[in-house]
Amino acid sequence: MAALTDPDRQDIADAIARELSTLRLVLGAMTKADLRAAINAADAWADANASSYNTALPLPARTVLTAKQKNYLLEFVLRRRREVS
Amino acid sequence: MASGDTLVSFVPTDNHPPNANAATPDYRNGHPVLDFDQATVEYANFKSCLPRFYSGGGITATIAWSASTATSGNAKWNVAIERIEDEGTDIDADSFATAQTATGAAPATSGAIQYTAVALTNAQIDGLLVGEWFRMQTSRDASHANDTMTGDAELVGVELRET
Repeated sequence: MAALTDPDRQDIADAIARELSTLRLVLGAMTKADLRAAINAADAWADANASSYNTALPLPARTVLTAKQKNYLLEFVLRRRREVS
Repeated sequence: MASGDTLVSFVPTDNHPPNANAATPDYRNGHPVLDFDQATVEYANFKSCLPRFYSGGGITATIAWSASTATSGNAKWNVAIERIEDEGTDIDADSFATAQTATGAAPATSGAIQYTAVALTNAQIDGLLVGEWFRMQTSRDASHANDTMTGDAELVGVELRET
Protein backbone atom coordinates (compact mmCIF):
# COMPACT_ATOMS: atom_id res chain seq x y z
CA MET A 1 0.00 0.00 0.00
CA ALA A 2 1.29 3.42 -0.93
CA ALA A 3 1.84 6.21 1.53
CA LEU A 4 -1.29 8.16 2.47
CA THR A 5 -2.25 11.28 0.58
CA ASP A 6 -1.92 14.69 2.14
CA PRO A 7 -5.68 14.99 2.79
CA ASP A 8 -5.69 11.54 4.40
CA ARG A 9 -2.85 12.54 6.69
CA GLN A 10 -4.69 15.77 7.54
CA ASP A 11 -7.78 13.72 8.39
CA ILE A 12 -5.68 11.79 10.90
CA ALA A 13 -4.43 15.01 12.49
CA ASP A 14 -7.98 16.35 12.76
CA ALA A 15 -9.29 13.09 14.18
CA ILE A 16 -6.54 12.96 16.79
CA ALA A 17 -7.22 16.55 17.79
CA ARG A 18 -10.95 15.92 18.06
CA GLU A 19 -10.47 12.83 20.17
CA LEU A 20 -7.95 14.47 22.47
CA SER A 21 -10.21 17.50 22.90
CA THR A 22 -13.15 15.28 23.76
CA LEU A 23 -11.09 13.43 26.34
CA ARG A 24 -9.16 16.58 27.33
CA LEU A 25 -5.88 14.73 27.05
CA VAL A 26 -2.99 17.18 26.87
CA LEU A 27 -0.64 16.36 24.03
CA GLY A 28 2.15 18.61 25.28
CA ALA A 29 3.77 21.56 23.56
CA MET A 30 2.76 20.53 20.04
CA THR A 31 1.43 22.77 17.30
CA LYS A 32 -0.66 21.63 14.34
CA ALA A 33 2.50 21.59 12.24
CA ASP A 34 4.32 19.46 14.81
CA LEU A 35 1.48 16.96 14.89
CA ARG A 36 1.33 16.80 11.10
CA ALA A 37 5.10 16.25 10.90
CA ALA A 38 4.80 13.31 13.31
CA ILE A 39 1.93 11.81 11.30
CA ASN A 40 3.85 12.26 8.06
CA ALA A 41 6.86 10.50 9.58
CA ALA A 42 4.79 7.65 10.99
CA ASP A 43 3.09 7.07 7.65
CA ALA A 44 6.38 7.28 5.77
CA TRP A 45 7.87 4.75 8.18
CA ALA A 46 4.91 2.41 7.70
CA ASP A 47 5.31 2.71 3.95
CA ALA A 48 9.05 2.11 4.03
CA ASN A 49 8.72 -0.92 6.30
CA ALA A 50 5.68 -2.55 4.73
CA SER A 51 7.72 -5.32 3.12
CA SER A 52 9.55 -5.97 6.39
CA TYR A 53 6.22 -6.41 8.16
CA ASN A 54 5.03 -8.74 5.46
CA THR A 55 8.18 -10.85 5.77
CA ALA A 56 7.72 -11.04 9.54
CA LEU A 57 4.32 -12.66 9.19
CA PRO A 58 4.44 -16.45 9.32
CA LEU A 59 2.85 -18.71 6.80
CA PRO A 60 0.02 -19.21 6.06
CA ALA A 61 -0.94 -15.65 7.12
CA ARG A 62 1.63 -14.09 4.81
CA THR A 63 0.06 -15.59 1.74
CA VAL A 64 -3.56 -16.01 2.80
CA LEU A 65 -4.29 -12.55 4.22
CA THR A 66 -4.88 -9.64 1.89
CA ALA A 67 -2.88 -6.43 2.31
CA LYS A 68 -5.91 -4.81 3.89
CA GLN A 69 -6.33 -7.70 6.33
CA LYS A 70 -2.66 -7.48 7.28
CA ASN A 71 -3.10 -3.79 8.05
CA TYR A 72 -6.19 -4.66 10.08
CA LEU A 73 -4.20 -7.18 12.07
CA LEU A 74 -1.42 -4.69 12.75
CA GLU A 75 -3.98 -2.06 13.75
CA PHE A 76 -5.39 -4.38 16.42
CA VAL A 77 -1.93 -5.22 17.74
CA LEU A 78 -0.97 -1.54 17.98
CA ARG A 79 -4.27 -0.62 19.61
CA ARG A 80 -3.82 -3.30 22.26
CA ARG A 81 -0.23 -2.20 22.86
CA ARG A 82 -1.53 1.32 23.51
CA GLU A 83 -4.24 0.06 25.86
CA VAL A 84 -1.86 -1.97 28.02
CA SER A 85 0.95 0.57 28.04
CA MET B 1 -19.21 57.45 29.51
CA ALA B 2 -15.76 56.95 28.17
CA SER B 3 -13.05 54.78 26.79
CA GLY B 4 -12.62 51.51 28.63
CA ASP B 5 -16.18 51.22 29.83
CA THR B 6 -17.80 47.82 29.48
CA LEU B 7 -20.66 47.93 27.00
CA VAL B 8 -21.95 44.39 27.27
CA SER B 9 -20.68 40.93 28.10
CA PHE B 10 -21.62 37.52 26.76
CA VAL B 11 -21.28 34.00 28.09
CA PRO B 12 -21.58 30.77 26.08
CA THR B 13 -25.23 30.27 27.02
CA ASP B 14 -26.03 33.58 25.29
CA ASN B 15 -25.02 32.06 21.95
CA HIS B 16 -27.52 32.01 19.11
CA PRO B 17 -25.87 29.31 17.00
CA PRO B 18 -25.86 29.64 13.22
CA ASN B 19 -27.46 26.98 11.05
CA ALA B 20 -24.12 25.65 9.86
CA ASN B 21 -20.68 25.26 11.40
CA ALA B 22 -21.75 26.29 14.87
CA ALA B 23 -19.32 26.09 17.76
CA THR B 24 -20.19 23.17 20.01
CA PRO B 25 -21.58 23.78 23.50
CA ASP B 26 -19.58 21.97 26.14
CA TYR B 27 -18.81 22.07 29.84
CA ARG B 28 -15.44 22.27 31.52
CA ASN B 29 -15.63 21.56 35.22
CA GLY B 30 -19.10 23.09 35.28
CA HIS B 31 -18.13 26.11 33.18
CA PRO B 32 -20.20 26.36 30.02
CA VAL B 33 -17.84 26.78 27.06
CA LEU B 34 -18.14 26.83 23.27
CA ASP B 35 -15.72 24.54 21.46
CA PHE B 36 -14.15 25.86 18.26
CA ASP B 37 -12.58 23.15 16.10
CA GLN B 38 -8.96 23.18 14.96
CA ALA B 39 -9.76 22.28 11.34
CA THR B 40 -13.19 23.73 10.53
CA VAL B 41 -14.06 27.42 10.89
CA GLU B 42 -16.91 27.51 13.39
CA TYR B 43 -19.10 30.37 14.57
CA ALA B 44 -21.01 31.70 17.55
CA ASN B 45 -23.43 34.62 17.41
CA PHE B 46 -24.41 36.89 20.28
CA LYS B 47 -27.15 39.50 20.19
CA SER B 48 -27.51 42.65 22.24
CA CYS B 49 -28.40 46.34 22.10
CA LEU B 50 -25.65 48.97 21.96
CA PRO B 51 -25.90 50.95 25.20
CA ARG B 52 -26.91 54.60 25.03
CA PHE B 53 -23.69 55.62 26.76
CA TYR B 54 -21.50 54.45 23.86
CA SER B 55 -19.78 57.55 22.52
CA GLY B 56 -18.39 56.37 19.19
CA GLY B 57 -14.88 55.39 20.21
CA GLY B 58 -14.94 51.95 18.62
CA ILE B 59 -15.40 48.58 20.27
CA THR B 60 -12.86 46.14 21.64
CA ALA B 61 -14.06 42.58 21.98
CA THR B 62 -12.01 40.68 24.53
CA ILE B 63 -12.45 36.95 24.16
CA ALA B 64 -11.72 34.85 27.23
CA TRP B 65 -10.81 31.35 26.13
CA SER B 66 -8.92 28.26 27.07
CA ALA B 67 -7.32 25.49 25.08
CA SER B 68 -9.03 22.16 25.37
CA THR B 69 -5.77 20.22 25.35
CA ALA B 70 -2.99 22.35 23.88
CA THR B 71 -0.29 24.10 25.89
CA SER B 72 1.33 25.86 22.93
CA GLY B 73 0.40 27.32 19.57
CA ASN B 74 -1.92 30.16 18.65
CA ALA B 75 -5.64 30.52 18.03
CA LYS B 76 -6.79 33.20 15.59
CA TRP B 77 -10.10 34.82 16.48
CA ASN B 78 -12.40 36.80 14.22
CA VAL B 79 -15.12 39.20 15.34
CA ALA B 80 -17.73 40.79 13.07
CA ILE B 81 -20.71 43.03 13.79
CA GLU B 82 -24.12 42.99 12.11
CA ARG B 83 -26.26 46.06 12.64
CA ILE B 84 -29.99 45.45 12.99
CA GLU B 85 -31.39 48.93 12.55
CA ASP B 86 -34.95 50.26 12.35
CA GLU B 87 -36.53 49.14 9.06
CA GLY B 88 -33.15 48.28 7.63
CA THR B 89 -31.40 44.95 7.82
CA ASP B 90 -33.47 41.98 6.68
CA ILE B 91 -32.75 39.29 9.24
CA ASP B 92 -33.62 36.59 6.71
CA ALA B 93 -29.97 36.81 5.65
CA ASP B 94 -26.71 37.49 7.43
CA SER B 95 -25.10 40.87 6.83
CA PHE B 96 -22.03 40.98 9.01
CA ALA B 97 -19.41 43.60 8.31
CA THR B 98 -15.85 42.54 7.56
CA ALA B 99 -14.42 40.59 10.47
CA GLN B 100 -11.53 41.94 12.45
CA THR B 101 -8.99 39.58 13.91
CA ALA B 102 -6.47 38.92 16.66
CA THR B 103 -4.29 36.00 17.58
CA GLY B 104 -3.72 34.69 21.08
CA ALA B 105 -1.37 32.08 22.46
CA ALA B 106 -2.53 29.00 24.29
CA PRO B 107 -1.72 29.29 28.00
CA ALA B 108 1.05 27.00 29.22
CA THR B 109 -1.48 25.28 31.47
CA SER B 110 -4.48 23.65 29.83
CA GLY B 111 -7.46 25.12 31.63
CA ALA B 112 -5.90 28.53 32.22
CA ILE B 113 -7.66 31.39 30.46
CA GLN B 114 -6.23 33.62 27.76
CA TYR B 115 -7.71 37.06 27.06
CA THR B 116 -7.45 38.02 23.39
CA ALA B 117 -8.61 41.49 22.35
CA VAL B 118 -10.03 42.17 18.89
CA ALA B 119 -10.27 45.88 18.13
CA LEU B 120 -12.97 47.31 15.86
CA THR B 121 -12.99 50.97 14.97
CA ASN B 122 -16.28 52.83 14.86
CA ALA B 123 -16.17 52.46 11.08
CA GLN B 124 -15.86 48.65 11.37
CA ILE B 125 -19.07 48.01 13.32
CA ASP B 126 -21.45 48.03 10.35
CA GLY B 127 -22.66 51.57 11.08
CA LEU B 128 -24.11 50.51 14.42
CA LEU B 129 -25.62 53.34 16.48
CA VAL B 130 -26.60 53.58 20.12
CA GLY B 131 -29.90 52.00 20.98
CA GLU B 132 -29.77 49.64 18.01
CA TRP B 133 -29.71 45.88 18.18
CA PHE B 134 -26.79 44.00 16.75
CA ARG B 135 -25.24 40.60 16.48
CA MET B 136 -21.60 39.88 17.14
CA GLN B 137 -20.22 36.92 15.27
CA THR B 138 -17.20 35.22 16.79
CA SER B 139 -15.24 32.58 14.95
CA ARG B 140 -11.94 30.79 15.13
CA ASP B 141 -10.05 31.16 11.86
CA ALA B 142 -8.95 27.55 12.05
CA SER B 143 -7.83 27.22 8.44
CA HIS B 144 -5.51 30.24 8.62
CA ALA B 145 -1.77 29.64 8.71
CA ASN B 146 -1.46 31.70 11.89
CA ASP B 147 -3.83 29.38 13.73
CA THR B 148 -1.34 26.78 14.90
CA MET B 149 -2.92 25.40 18.05
CA THR B 150 -3.99 21.75 18.14
CA GLY B 151 -7.39 20.79 19.47
CA ASP B 152 -10.38 22.89 20.39
CA ALA B 153 -10.37 26.47 21.59
CA GLU B 154 -13.00 26.92 24.29
CA LEU B 155 -14.72 30.28 24.48
CA VAL B 156 -15.53 31.14 28.08
CA GLY B 157 -16.90 34.66 27.64
CA VAL B 158 -16.65 37.90 25.68
CA GLU B 159 -16.54 41.44 26.96
CA LEU B 160 -17.30 44.35 24.66
CA ARG B 161 -15.89 47.64 25.86
CA GLU B 162 -15.51 51.05 24.30
CA THR B 163 -12.00 51.34 22.93
